[in-house]
Amino acid sequence: MSKFSRAIRDHAVPLALIAPSILVILVVVLLPLMFSFYTSFTNYRLIRPDTLWDWIGLRNYQRLLADWDFWVAFGRTILFLTVALNLELLFGLGLALLVNKITWGQRTLRTIMMFPMMFSPILVGFQFKYVFNDTIGLVNNALQSLGLTEFAIPFLVDRWLAFFSISFAEIWMSTSIFAILILAGLFAMPKDPIEAARVDGCSNWQVFRHITLPFLMPFIFIAMTIRSLDVARAYDVVDVMTGGGPAQRTELLWTLIARTAYDDARMGRANAMAYASILLSIFFTWYFFRKLMDARKHLGAF
Amino acid sequence: MRNFTKTGLATTVAIVLSGAASAQDYGSFEDYTLRVKLIGGAQYEPLYTLIPEWEAATGAKVEILSRKSHFELDREMKQDIAAGNIDYCVFSNHTNFAPQYDVMTQPLDGLIDADTIAAFSPLVISHATVSGDLFSLPRHSDVSNMFYVKSLYEDEANKAAFEKEYGYALTPPETWAQASDQAKFFTDAPDRYGTHFAGKDEGITGRFYEMLVAEGGVLFDDNWKPTFNSEEGVRALNWFVDLYQAKAVPAGTTNYVWDDLGLGFAAGAVAYDLDWAGWAAYFNGSDSKIGGDVGVALAPKGSSGKRTGWSGSHTFSITKACDNKDAAASLVTFLTSQNAQMIEARAGLLPTRTQVWTDVIAEFKADGNAFMVEVFDIWGQSMADHAFTPPLIAEWGEVSNALWPQLQAAILGDVTAQEALDKAAKEVSEVMEDAGYN
Repeated sequence: MSKFSRAIRDHAVPLALIAPSILVILVVVLLPLMFSFYTSFTNYRLIRPDTLWDWIGLRNYQRLLADWDFWVAFGRTILFLTVALNLELLFGLGLALLVNKITWGQRTLRTIMMFPMMFSPILVGFQFKYVFNDTIGLVNNALQSLGLTEFAIPFLVDRWLAFFSISFAEIWMSTSIFAILILAGLFAMPKDPIEAARVDGCSNWQVFRHITLPFLMPFIFIAMTIRSLDVARAYDVVDVMTGGGPAQRTELLWTLIARTAYDDARMGRANAMAYASILLSIFFTWYFFRKLMDARKHLGAF
Repeated sequence: MRNFTKTGLATTVAIVLSGAASAQDYGSFEDYTLRVKLIGGAQYEPLYTLIPEWEAATGAKVEILSRKSHFELDREMKQDIAAGNIDYCVFSNHTNFAPQYDVMTQPLDGLIDADTIAAFSPLVISHATVSGDLFSLPRHSDVSNMFYVKSLYEDEANKAAFEKEYGYALTPPETWAQASDQAKFFTDAPDRYGTHFAGKDEGITGRFYEMLVAEGGVLFDDNWKPTFNSEEGVRALNWFVDLYQAKAVPAGTTNYVWDDLGLGFAAGAVAYDLDWAGWAAYFNGSDSKIGGDVGVALAPKGSSGKRTGWSGSHTFSITKACDNKDAAASLVTFLTSQNAQMIEARAGLLPTRTQVWTDVIAEFKADGNAFMVEVFDIWGQSMADHAFTPPLIAEWGEVSNALWPQLQAAILGDVTAQEALDKAAKEVSEVMEDAGYN
């Protein structure tokens, strides 16, 4: 009897038990992935089902390499990710540290802090589209009423203001994810090292820099990993606020891919774009996981 | 007693009219359930309140599977085509997008009788015909004309100042060059701008396209090679660029679509607005800040002497996969009947049956609604003489998506009009090549 057959016989029960899960994963994840990967080598257009068999080899990928708009959107997505993640981390850390200090009404505050997470991204998009509108927007009206400006500021039109506006909406919606995870880290933190450091005469900054922050880093990197996947596929908020425009000034990977796939019905090309974009998510996931492992090693968790 | 007689008379007329409507035989489809996907939204919904009447007349039931905006429905139907999941009979369609659903659409010739088709405007029927097949029955049409704030144009000080600055009298614009002058003249930012325009999606493509035609240009040559990056195309695009750079339109106009424009004009934010007839009653009504102060005029002419008139019609189609095409044809006929179109026309939507034009204008006259009479007169002329559709090809959506980001780039000053159109032409060539045109 071969080694393989023996292994199957010895592990028959566990294999039988996990077989349904493997089957479900195959059907739900692997098959669609293989199908979409195949279509990226075809001229598949949704409105022409027979184009599914129109094999064009690497043409979609070749065009992608030469598609300046795609690479600009790729770069902008990385910038958006960098800005959003760093600012969310800063604000989330600040919020968590402040909330952690409160002794009365902390639970209520924690609940309030989570409100933005409870809104659908589409609603958040509409909310900030209104807030930043140039004629009826809240910000412009407030600035004009206070006499701070006489002209409407085109928040959703100007290249950098539009980028600021979509970043603001994204950060507003998701900072609490960082805050909650960091707060969980603060709750789990042993008090002894901090007390020992204070007895040794460490300043608040030294305690934070050398004890609190290293302890929080694994929590921060978990939040970073989750959020990097989220932001790398940011779509709803941006689509509602600017639709990737004007003139592609706020075009991110997924606004471009969704338009190519559904509005243009060019699913083959869109899938080629999506596979190139996945590289971004894989890179950030790998990077933050490596950082997470380093941080845990530093804490002596392994 | 007098009131009672009036009420009695009205009731009698209503009964006679409704009797006349239900007199048409819509067939009998006892216990059959007709599955449909319909366009949703405030201006489309009132028509659907008639569906129970059709159900009562035929014994069938209507199951509405989707009731979404045009763009959501468009995505859904593309997915249905891709998945081969077309288990419904009737769907809302649009003349300008109908060719892309050709694999699922049942031609109506033979299903709808010739007399019924003959009651529709021949021009609109021709717009609903794709490669010789009638793809859908139109419920109402769209074309844009000018709405303007009358008091601004009638103000003596404005008249004198305008004539002094531009050398001709201030009247609603007859040409787009005059419209440009007037937009700059009336701008008093940020309280009021001269005008605004749809600045993204198919909105700006359509506006550019009609301006291109009015300037004497065409989108494609006979071999489907893009030709909009011509001299006429640059002139057409520069009309928008010039107004944007002169700050005669709101800075955010590049993000505006139809609701932003309609609500902005009703709020008195602009002096004139090129818009659809469906807004007319709202603009001049009590919910609008400029209610009672709205004038209408034909869309201006471009330098070729042709007026702008980008047009299309909302329609109903039947799927090839439908298991009861007679029931589907019956519902489509019912929803586009004289009675049904009168309901939409009263709200300002443009009918596609010629008799409804006559009847609704007579009704507005009888009600003393001079504004709506004028609206239907202007839009009637526009539909008869100036309306044109984009090329009726399945790739119109893709062509539009290749064009509008480049149009925006020129309007915002990132590139020149020529550079923007050249880049768009290159992308459109690729779209047409992939679709097998050249």
